[in-house]
Amino acid sequence: MTARKALTDDQFRFALGYGTNGFADHPLPVALELLAEQGYTAVALTLGHPHLDPFADDLEERLDEVGALLARNGLRVVVETGTRFLLDARQKHRPALVDKHAGLRLEFLRRAVDIAAKLDAECVSFFSGILPEDATEQTGWQRLTTRVAELVEYAAARDVLLAIEPEPGMVVETVADALRLHGELGEPRALRLTVDIGHCVVVEPGGVDGALRLAGDLLANVQLDDMLPHTHEHLPFGDGVLDLPLALATLAELDYRGVAAVELPRHSWDAPGLAERSMAALRAAWTASAPARTAGAWLADSTTAVLADHASLPRIFATAPRSVGRAPRCPGTDPTGVLFGTVADDARARLIARLGRDLEPAVLTQLLRDLYHRGDSAERRGVLRGLGALAEASPRLDGTLVLTGLELTSDALRSNETSLVAAAVGPFAAAHLDQHAWRHAVLKLVFMGVSLAAATGLQVRADAELARMAADFAAERRAASRPIPEDLALLTRPANHPTSL
Amino acid sequence: MRIFDPHIHMSSRTTNDYEAMYAAGVRALVEPAFWLGQPRTSVASFLDYFDSLLGWERFRAAQFGIRHHATIALNPKEANDPRCLPVLEELPRYLAKEGVVAVGEIGYDSMTPAEDHAFAAQLELARAHRLPALVHTPHREKLAGTRRTLDVVRESGIGAGAVLVDHLNETNIEIVKDAGAWMGFSIYPDTKMDETRMVALLQRYGTERVLVNSAADWGRSDPLKTRRTADAMLAAGFSADDVDQVFWRNPVEFYGQSGQLILDPLPGFEAAGFPDPAAGFEGNSVLRGARA
Repeated sequence: MTARKALTDDQFRFALGYGTNGFADHPLPVALELLAEQGYTAVALTLGHPHLDPFADDLEERLDEVGALLARNGLRVVVETGTRFLLDARQKHRPALVDKHAGLRLEFLRRAVDIAAKLDAECVSFFSGILPEDATEQTGWQRLTTRVAELVEYAAARDVLLAIEPEPGMVVETVADALRLHGELGEPRALRLTVDIGHCVVVEPGGVDGALRLAGDLLANVQLDDMLPHTHEHLPFGDGVLDLPLALATLAELDYRGVAAVELPRHSWDAPGLAERSMAALRAAWTASAPARTAGAWLADSTTAVLADHASLPRIFATAPRSVGRAPRCPGTDPTGVLFGTVADDARARLIARLGRDLEPAVLTQLLRDLYHRGDSAERRGVLRGLGALAEASPRLDGTLVLTGLELTSDALRSNETSLVAAAVGPFAAAHLDQHAWRHAVLKLVFMGVSLAAATGLQVRADAELARMAADFAAERRAASRPIPEDLALLTRPANHPTSL
Repeated sequence: MRIFDPHIHMSSRTTNDYEAMYAAGVRALVEPAFWLGQPRTSVASFLDYFDSLLGWERFRAAQFGIRHHATIALNPKEANDPRCLPVLEELPRYLAKEGVVAVGEIGYDSMTPAEDHAFAAQLELARAHRLPALVHTPHREKLAGTRRTLDVVRESGIGAGAVLVDHLNETNIEIVKDAGAWMGFSIYPDTKMDETRMVALLQRYGTERVLVNSAADWGRSDPLKTRRTADAMLAAGFSADDVDQVFWRNPVEFYGQSGQLILDPLPGFEAAGFPDPAAGFEGNSVLRGARA
């Protein structure tokens, strides 16, 4: 067995791997040895050309060899099925599960399940496919559910997990789509999720952390790569906009213990170098994720404690900064933390959102009211940002909760503390504050000299009346020979607003 | 020169004071909860006051580049009013809050049984919350009051090193020093203690465990007395290091026992200098760019 480089001191619990589709120019035994050398402890094994033909006559023997290679290199394995031209030499990824005739795809996936069983793989990852021209969305979805149900039954009988991977442009595109499928099939134990963290940049509304949390306990496989918004192209870490430390911290927060494998299928030409640089990037990101991991651990512990004893909430809420710190969330763009809050604001807000999943709305409402009225400014910011997180998580909040939220928001908007006012014009205000109060809140930001970046929903809610108010304010400033905040232009530009409500 | 004023009631002061204090070198302070001059008549009035110490006043200080901390307590004078006494039940919630660095001001005003009770109960709260205690000595009967204060401290079991006995003078410094507690001196324009007498005390008793404050409030007082005393020390031959010990390191060590002192410079402040009072300095990337 190859000697491994030590990882960081506080080790992650998931297994870092690398996809063999990024090593298409190396024979499998060599690829696996190179990966083990770099410190990888897992591999995502793509079936088909060039490493392992699932339809080979001597498949059994080949699997024995692969099993021995994995054992020798100390690698855990997941089975990947995204080979482009395995089933149809002319059309990429066809036939798919949403196509009219998908027999070949089903046969392939059943075989993948057999292979996974033989290799003791952690799961078989698969995707839905792009909706063909001959099918409506409904037809495609029907085909998918019927076929996945068959596959799930086949896999369950062999004690193998299937993990559906949301892919940009496919019928199952987001984690929410995958969860819908899982739900419609009756939440079968054998059906789980694969999440490619690069895809999250392109399609996931809640970002990478939101998507991973949404997948939660169903997460069975993770693919690691960077990506740019609007372009589904797997990139080496650092070439896209992915927040890798945040992704790793979220995996730690979820206590994910499965395989997380680098997915760079278009970079085989530089495979050894990328395997090395990816590992370095992952190690650096893990170190950089320490504050986020601390916050994640605080969130988990605090949630457990509060659910066990509601009376512990005030103290836990008040002392949050001692655990998670007080730094601004976005030090580059917001060094004072006024616009987007501090890491403690964020931790408190996430605790509220988390409690919102398990507490009765009436109980949560009472707790929030108490936290706000008995809180210092920072705790109040936490409550306001928590209301924002609740509003983001659910378009239909409980009526009592909304009323109390409005009462607290109005209280904050009467204050003259910039950070409180900024925290009060977030997603909750955008969703629930009446138009009059919302306009005044936005104008107050400008009046206080706080950037409008703090306000949520400006594009949607700004109207002609707000433009008039902004213009009058500008006139007043001119009369007093005082500078006019540049942000006012965002409100007075007529192109932006629909007619007044 | 960096100055930490360990006892000043900023909610009674103006923004001019904040500005002058920053210019004089004040970068951190502690505002103890106390009497408002006009007696309170209900617990709710205390709660609004505590909230303003931890909220609005901290925000206001931050506008002027000064780190604001607070101590929370039922003061001895109002401990005598049964309408105010139930505030003791509200204190634990405040003592857990960010930037609460001690229980205080507690101690004696007229040395009544009600004051005894509130004093002992709050020393116990300090122990339970692992916070030091800021103890005020009476304006009248100062020496007898200080003796009794030290007795109560001893009986409470809180270590003398976790207690700052404040408003001392020539008559009671020695017994506080011998007890092992921290010694606080409030420099006033014409009562309590002045700069010259303070320097003489420092020459005689040394700089160890000594804290000097302005205790400025709504009465005739001067928030720059810290700086004036520091200057008087230098003029009398004390070193810059001695001054730093009294005006920074001693208060940091004493209140630091709370684990709640936050002393890193306020983000964005040093670079921006004094804020444009109309615009505020926080959060306005657009304006900050325009001003530069």
